[in-house]
Amino acid sequence: MSVETAKILPLRDGAGTKPKIVAKNVQKYFGNVLAMEDISCTINEREFVAIIGPSGCGKSTFLYLIAGFEKASQGELLINNELVVGPGPDRGVVFQEFVLFPWLTVLRNATLGLDIKGVPRQEAEERARKWLRLTGLSGFENAYPSSLSGGMKQRVAIARALSYDPEVLLLDEPFGALDVQTKNYMIQDLQNLWVEANRTIVMITHSVSEAVQLADRVLILSSRPSRIIADVAIKLPHPRDLRDPQVRRYEDEVTALLSAEVDKAMKRERQTFAGRS
Amino acid sequence: MSNATPSAPFAGVADEQRLRSILYRGAASAFLFALPIIVFLLIWETTVRLGWINATILPSPSNIARRAWVLLDPADPAKSILLTHIVVSLWRALSSFALACVLAIPMGLFLGLNRTAYLIASPLLSLLLPLPAVAWAPIFLVIFGQGDITIIAVCFLGAFFPILYSTIQGVRAIGRHSLWVVRSMGASRFDIFRRVLLPGALPALISGLKLGMAHSWRTLVAAEMLAALTHGLGFMIFAARSYMDVSTMFVGIVCLALIGLLIERGVFGSLEALTIHRWHGNGKVGSHR
Ligand SMILES: Nc1ncnc2c1ncn2[C@@H]1O[C@H](COP(=O)(O)OP(=O)(O)O)[C@@H](O)[C@H]1O
Ligand SMILES: [Mg+2]
Repeated sequence: MSVETAKILPLRDGAGTKPKIVAKNVQKYFGNVLAMEDISCTINEREFVAIIGPSGCGKSTFLYLIAGFEKASQGELLINNELVVGPGPDRGVVFQEFVLFPWLTVLRNATLGLDIKGVPRQEAEERARKWLRLTGLSGFENAYPSSLSGGMKQRVAIARALSYDPEVLLLDEPFGALDVQTKNYMIQDLQNLWVEANRTIVMITHSVSEAVQLADRVLILSSRPSRIIADVAIKLPHPRDLRDPQVRRYEDEVTALLSAEVDKAMKRERQTFAGRS
Repeated sequence: MSNATPSAPFAGVADEQRLRSILYRGAASAFLFALPIIVFLLIWETTVRLGWINATILPSPSNIARRAWVLLDPADPAKSILLTHIVVSLWRALSSFALACVLAIPMGLFLGLNRTAYLIASPLLSLLLPLPAVAWAPIFLVIFGQGDITIIAVCFLGAFFPILYSTIQGVRAIGRHSLWVVRSMGASRFDIFRRVLLPGALPALISGLKLGMAHSWRTLVAAEMLAALTHGLGFMIFAARSYMDVSTMFVGIVCLALIGLLIERGVFGSLEALTIHRWHGNGKVGSHR
């Protein structure tokens, strides 16, 4: 890790209390398939919220709704008390599949948001270089994405989102494709980046330990059609160690809630299957 | 990373060595490319000289070369017959290609982006794409008569459909997530076009341009045979028929092959080297998809 991020981290005194993202009875249909039944939640300013749930339950969909890529079929989504009508530079998205542009170098990928904003090139490069440094990508500025490993691509995607300084960071399984070593580094990095960036972060994950290690709150979604079945506040200082018994206790709690939900879903599926045959 | 990072005093030596090895490799690959052709020409020459083949039907390579030299008339390039034919043919092929680009690329972008338009146009395109462009030549002859307009129109059709088709496919292959990335950065329509659609479609576009140019060049010969009044390589080949001048026909054929090769390797090869190969390293095209 770079020297800059390795400094002693302050204890966070909790997130702000001003609502940043508000979902009110959000429902989402794809055709006549109900993907989300009824989601209501409030995410406060500078809060780090992890969303966890069985795969296919609509986590990415929820993120795309917040980002403004998809439209809710029912209910409403508010950012800063204003209705979300489309994507905007106040929300930075890091996709699970990186979605880097192969025709741009690492540096140009990272400056993209600033280039679009019309920030002068030199300033844009300065700001992008800072995040590339913090994500451990110094020396790769002029490489093309095709020459990078999956972990490095993921970090470019994160640096790209951070460089243009969005108020809200939306991360879709940002460590999903990484090997364990890289992942541990990235979790460390993200904790530090979060303190550095001082932003609201919504992170989707299917890993309980990731969620418990990083988030102020963990929202647990049910299987499709999804609802929020639990909202667990993790009241522990950062950085957290997974071996810490208190962290373990939260991990067990979230795991129990999640496996109960997965069990229920499986049973339901088997019943419908049995009923059909 | 480079395997040799010598300290400063030796850097010049390493550079020279690298340059030499690049030159050496270039010469070697050129030799390997030329070798089968040289062997083929030697066999041809021998069989003709030994009288195994009638030289009035198949002239020897040396004979063809001599004829080319006469037609080329290197002493006075301004009046060179062969050069005039080549320039006229190139002008026709390139102008029809340019015209095809100007129309097919924007149209392809539009059809690639607009689902309804694509659904309407797609069946028509499927019919028109495999149709050999020369089939239109008689119709254009009826409309425009013999001359440049007919030739350019036929070549244009040869180039137009491959370029249009590739552009459409290139745009359609761009994932919606790529568009979402720039839209979430507040991109305008022009930003989306310039920063995602155009570069994203470029690999497919380049292969479409390559195909379009090749089609245009092929169509040209047939079109010139049918519709040219005075000049062009196709005209030269066809006109030589009246005098049973087989050597001249072969000169024309060799010129067509060489120019085709030069365009394919020289123009599109370097275009690819500047774009796709640089993005993907060592020609691993499409490794990101
Ligand atoms: N564009 C779409 N069209 C139709 N169905 C979709 C679309 N996007 C997602 N879905 C469906 O909605 C459900 C939730 O998808 P997603 O949000 O990707 O789940 P997760 O991210 O939790 O794995 C899935 O069953 C998926 O098949
Ligand atoms: Mg997902």
